[in-house]
Amino acid sequence: MKIIFEYEEEKNTGHLQKEEEEDVCIELPDDISRKELLPIPNVNEVDVVRHYTNLSRMNFGVDIGFYPLGSCTMKYNPKVNEDAARAEGFSNLHPLSPEVCTQGSLKLMWELKEYLKDITGMDDFTLQPSAGAQGELLGVMMAKAYFRHKGEKRTKAIIPDSAHGTNPATASMCKLETITIPSDPRGNIDIRRYRESLGPEVALVMLTNPNTLGLFDENTIEISDLAHKNGILMYCDGANMNALLGITRPGDQGFDMIHLNLHKTFSTPHGGGGPGAGVLGVKSFLSEYLPVPQVVKRDSGYSLDYDCKKSVGRVRSFYGNFGMHVRAYSYIHSWGTKIRKVSEHAILNANYLQALLKDTFDLAYDRRCAHEFVLSSRRFGEKSALNIAKRLMDYGFHPPTIYFPLIVPEALMIEPTETESKETLDRFVLALKKITSELKEDPEMVKQSPLSTPVGRLDEVAAARRPNLRWRPSQRTNQSGSE
Amino acid sequence: MDYIPATEKDIKEMLNIVGVTSINDLVRDFIPAFTGKMNLPQPKSELELVRHMRGLAHTNKILRCFVGAGAYNHYIPSAVSHLLARGDLFTGYTPYQAEISQGTLQAIYEFQSFICLLTGMDVANASLYEGASALAEAALLSCSYTGRDRIFVKERLHPQYLEVLQTYCEGAELTLTDRIDNDTACVIAQNPDFYGNVENLHYLAEQAHRVGALFTTCIVEPTSLAILEPPGKYGADIVAGEAQSFGIPLSFGGPYLGFIAVKDFLLKKLPGRICGMTTDSRGNRGFVLTFQAREQHIRRERATSNITTNQALMALAATIYLALMGRSGLTTVAKLSYARAHLLNRKLEKAGFRNLNSKPFYNEFVVKAPRSAEELASRLLKKGIVGGVNLGEDNFLICCTEMNSIQDIDDFVSAVAGD
Ligand SMILES: Cc1ncc(COP(=O)(O)O)c(C=O)c1O
Repeated sequence: MKIIFEYEEEKNTGHLQKEEEEDVCIELPDDISRKELLPIPNVNEVDVVRHYTNLSRMNFGVDIGFYPLGSCTMKYNPKVNEDAARAEGFSNLHPLSPEVCTQGSLKLMWELKEYLKDITGMDDFTLQPSAGAQGELLGVMMAKAYFRHKGEKRTKAIIPDSAHGTNPATASMCKLETITIPSDPRGNIDIRRYRESLGPEVALVMLTNPNTLGLFDENTIEISDLAHKNGILMYCDGANMNALLGITRPGDQGFDMIHLNLHKTFSTPHGGGGPGAGVLGVKSFLSEYLPVPQVVKRDSGYSLDYDCKKSVGRVRSFYGNFGMHVRAYSYIHSWGTKIRKVSEHAILNANYLQALLKDTFDLAYDRRCAHEFVLSSRRFGEKSALNIAKRLMDYGFHPPTIYFPLIVPEALMIEPTETESKETLDRFVLALKKITSELKEDPEMVKQSPLSTPVGRLDEVAAARRPNLRWRPSQRTNQSGSE
Repeated sequence: MDYIPATEKDIKEMLNIVGVTSINDLVRDFIPAFTGKMNLPQPKSELELVRHMRGLAHTNKILRCFVGAGAYNHYIPSAVSHLLARGDLFTGYTPYQAEISQGTLQAIYEFQSFICLLTGMDVANASLYEGASALAEAALLSCSYTGRDRIFVKERLHPQYLEVLQTYCEGAELTLTDRIDNDTACVIAQNPDFYGNVENLHYLAEQAHRVGALFTTCIVEPTSLAILEPPGKYGADIVAGEAQSFGIPLSFGGPYLGFIAVKDFLLKKLPGRICGMTTDSRGNRGFVLTFQAREQHIRRERATSNITTNQALMALAATIYLALMGRSGLTTVAKLSYARAHLLNRKLEKAGFRNLNSKPFYNEFVVKAPRSAEELASRLLKKGIVGGVNLGEDNFLICCTEMNSIQDIDDFVSAVAGD
């Protein structure tokens, strides 16, 4: 495939009225005006449409096939929610429009918060954070503000070794030192080591529940109780909420804060890596630290409230990824009071796959799982998880998450989600079993795989050693650009 | 609606394989069990859902928009949303598995290239959340690179961007300073600034570099780059900001598109995903995520940032937009935006408004109204116009783009002129 900069200069099409129709005279001083020709190509519309359509054909999405990427909850994204978000009344609304013009949006945001409060058992929410990691960042900032107001200086965060990388990365962005707690043989946080690490310098415990092994921590209540006795806040990384809807609520498990990834549990699409929405819920004693503005409901209608003295401020412009709020809201309305079924089937699908695969691979922890589970392919040798992942593509599946969580060697982290049929799961099992026999019979072939994809394995070492991270006009002459 | 394909028969067979008799057996350890009733709406069919959502959308009022201030009402060619909606692009995720993500990866490479070409910088990442937090990331990057902890911000930065910067600084234990000296990690200036003023910031870059600080230009209205000198030319080490103007709907404030671009020497400090060109096992050109050792999934507490999910789809929208508009189209957007703003400004001056811009402006400007801003706003509202941002003291921040027709401009003027 060519890249867009390699198209020959063409006649550009008229998306706008022509400037000649109007007497446009730019009177900018020389020292601020662009002197060089704007170095972006003119390509005609047909070629642009074909270019990106052809690119799309080299991609894999949930609309194409099974996408069991653990920790990412790659469920089907209902199309009707797209229509909702694209409705003129939502998509063309300027965020600084007067409130008489924005009542529909504000109502939606207010109601979404109410639903999320109910689903998580928290007392208040902000929809502002743009993704899970920003929700975490906001949570840690609020924890710091909370302790500052109490006159306490706490400098550490307790994080289990199974945690997602964002947890320690967030803690250190806020200058908190991470205390890493190992997992016990059942995949829970090691409660003895946890107890020993508690103390007046600890600000918060960041726990993912169910954790990244797909296991509900059996000591959750004890963990929260111990934290609270030491004045420590409990933060829930809610990335795995797809296992809990209507079954148990983090707010009732003792968590003081939780972020949700609306782009996971609530099915908002995030092609290529985003956008997300990392809404944050808190218990009432933390409400006053939430960012501004907050949507409030008054007799006169819905309104944005900026008046909050203890607020940490803002983590982004405007009110959050509103388009994602619309989709998540619409998704919640489609399920309504029956939302528990989502998690029930996510859990059933995961346990079904685990049961069918646990003898072919090593099960990292031999327990019933929640919405995902982690296998180890260590019996097939080094790099086997990678090779299996690559070969799966030839069978038409997106590979699971591999080499995470870090504590499981040759990890294959599988999250089927509730939107997959038994038939799909059966085909996936068959493919995995076939690949394990291929590993024995023709290991070289598996190492060469994938064989059916638009490109073969890519040279990552060369990519880093001789970085080419952007097109340069000088490249035009020496690129083949064959198609 | 119910997006679960399992039949009763499937469920029975699956439970059987798992070795339990009901799904409830699988969640007994999830405690405390929730036994209450959730205050959620009744489940809806697709038809009911469509009616409900349409009703809500109709409760909003879309008027003729003369507001900018960080969100710009530009025309979006039809092909953008059609291409974006293709499921193969729309329903994937981060391209960890490059062999089946070449579409996404190449589009990221093209996005990075567009950003570099427009800003005059060496490297850009695959996107950040939105402009304000992108600017905060630039500040964190500067502190990490220089080992200093003070940030200088030039006046007239978008007030929300300043608030975000303050919040991030509080969390990261950094300070905003009003001096440029040997403790300064970075000097930040928005261009065009919040009032729309455009300036050659060469002098500020020099001042920053003299004390060993990095210079960051914040771009909030990037269509300006079609006709303005790129920041790379006047000494920026970092350019960070918002690219919503490139084909992304206003959508009440998000999802938008944060970006960051730097000079080569800062590459290893960049936050977020970066895509690079390489070759595959068959000798073909291909693309991969690269320099991942900066990122949280490898580096954990020593990562350059915690960002994971970014705004990839919005970056794709911007890439398609820029490809469709091309040099001619984008230049037209910039020229028309400029021209309409200056036309409105001239007409308002004739009607007794006073322009307060201290420098040449692009497509936003500030006027002092001959009457109260409240009255102004309500007169405009009656004509179906959202007229600008009230800055207090009867000052109004007004924006034009190619979307504001001459007729709109005349209506604006007639609404506010006279008694
Ligand atoms: C367990 C867990 N925590 C946190 C995150 C970060 O969320 P986000 O990618 O939305 O920033 C993710 C997903 O990437 C995750 O899987």
